Amino acid sequence: MKQFRESAMRLVFFIAALTSILAVLLICVFLFANGIPAMSKVGFFDFILGENWAPQDVPPSFGILPMILGSVYITAGALIIGVPIGILTAVFLAKYCPQRAHRILKPAVDLLAGIPSVVYGFFGLVVLVPFVRDNFGGDGSSILTASILLGIMILPTIVSVSESAIRAVPQEYYENAVALGATHERAVFRVVLPAAKSGVFASVVLGVGRAIGEAMAVIMVAGNQARMPAGLLKGIRTLTTNIVTEMGYAADLHREVLIATGVVLFVFILIINISFSLIKRRQK
Amino acid sequence: MKRILACVLAVVMVFALAACGAPAAEDSSSPSASAGSSSSPSASASAPASDFDSTREISVVSREDGSGTRGAFIELFGIEEKGEDGTKTDKTTKEAAIANRTDVMLTNIAGNEYAIGYVSLGSLNETVKALKIDGAEATAENVKNGTYKVSRPFNIATKGEPTGLAKDFINFILSKEGQEVVSGDYIAVNDNAEAFKSDNSTGKIVIAGSSSVSPVMEKLVEAYKAINTGAEIEIQTNDSTAGMTAAMDGTCDIGMASRELKDSELAELTPTQIAIDGIAVIVNNANPLEELDNAAVKSIYTGEATTWDQIIK
Repeated sequence: MKQFRESAMRLVFFIAALTSILAVLLICVFLFANGIPAMSKVGFFDFILGENWAPQDVPPSFGILPMILGSVYITAGALIIGVPIGILTAVFLAKYCPQRAHRILKPAVDLLAGIPSVVYGFFGLVVLVPFVRDNFGGDGSSILTASILLGIMILPTIVSVSESAIRAVPQEYYENAVALGATHERAVFRVVLPAAKSGVFASVVLGVGRAIGEAMAVIMVAGNQARMPAGLLKGIRTLTTNIVTEMGYAADLHREVLIATGVVLFVFILIINISFSLIKRRQK
Repeated sequence: MKRILACVLAVVMVFALAACGAPAAEDSSSPSASAGSSSSPSASASAPASDFDSTREISVVSREDGSGTRGAFIELFGIEEKGEDGTKTDKTTKEAAIANRTDVMLTNIAGNEYAIGYVSLGSLNETVKALKIDGAEATAENVKNGTYKVSRPFNIATKGEPTGLAKDFINFILSKEGQEVVSGDYIAVNDNAEAFKSDNSTGKIVIAGSSSVSPVMEKLVEAYKAINTGAEIEIQTNDSTAGMTAAMDGTCDIGMASRELKDSELAELTPTQIAIDGIAVIVNNANPLEELDNAAVKSIYTGEATTWDQIIK
């Protein structure tokens, strides 16, 4: 009986694992089966390197380079803003924060993670857009605004994962460093943090995934212009916002091209994850 | 502790958002100058608002490609160029920010002193200011008498001939009672329509499409449900092309479009015009501008005019 129960549970776990793999496979099959033909119809280089996106023109143009660059710029901006703040916050929570303050700050960070992206978008539209417009110029809907908003949105991911990684470093590392004459700061930043770099790097990669895949918040603050980036204070459209904006009314080749845009996004995230794996392997 | 913190943060966020909503500047009410000729861009303004900097860039806001309002707007103002070989090119400036719904457009313009956009006349509210075009004020009355020329039809479309609840509802829209609802903010297509007699069809229908048509559609649904209580009608708001695509796919029973149907759509759908609507060109209430001519609107939307001092002479 015990043997049967164990086998049954093993089967349940196996099916659960298969379901996850199957989901990924189905997404891959759907994306590539619908997206690759569109790329060949438009022409791979015309699609990837084309600077003009005008699906309603006769004949239409389907160049997604502006959106690729838009995604890259906004993600990079979000990392520049979010990563230093996130890692330093994680260090503070793990190594500096008094217990009483930690009981308040940790739930606050967790709460940030639970806010829906449309609420972030509304916050950006009402608060950040006028702030950027009044203090930096432009019309407020810009790469800078979207980067600030995404920088805030990736904070909980970076803080939570980085803090866990820092706490996972054996206490002996810190104690040995202090015993050798290092100050608290030096021990934390020169010994503990480098020891946790694998986890910290993982948090950054998760942050990149969140930033590059975000659509709802970005659509509300980035201006949504399908043109080449023209400066930090100018608007932009990303790969995700392009799909969200146009999938509702797209038909035929236009729809296929939007799915192909999804393929490009998928490949982007795949490259990021593979790069992360390679860097981790090299460090070992 | 977590609950208390969550409540405190929620209250703080609400107050922060409330505090950040800048009050709209008072609407200028000075009479505008006469309309300029349509050959060269001209505009008229009331006494300049004290803090309106006309050297600032114009923040052009447009709608997404699938929008019927955009389709009609670029056609009426000559922003869409048609070649003799059948080519069509939308010359809207690439600098134009894209609002994907009517309410988003209104929010964008209301929140930015230097912005210009366009919305359905029936969706217009006091948060923004509608400009006169070629001397004519943007009102339903002026659309009806032909002095305000920036208008387009509101169409609904079904795949084949409608039946059951869909047919009964369309009959209501075209009836005396339905057209009275329409004439509140729009122009009715039939002033001499007959009174409605429902066949009391039951069931559920889905209506999808234009965010310009949905406000009047909501009123029509409400009025119809008062007559036929057994009807269940769901409205999904997106844009005209999405509505037509949904009707063709069969994912909705009735599609809404704030433009004429395209040839590809007419091949599969049966259209019915339910109203006529104007398109209002809108600016922020703090903008001293009162009037533009057709050429000025075109020059702004094609990117020829980039700062307000090129428009406010």
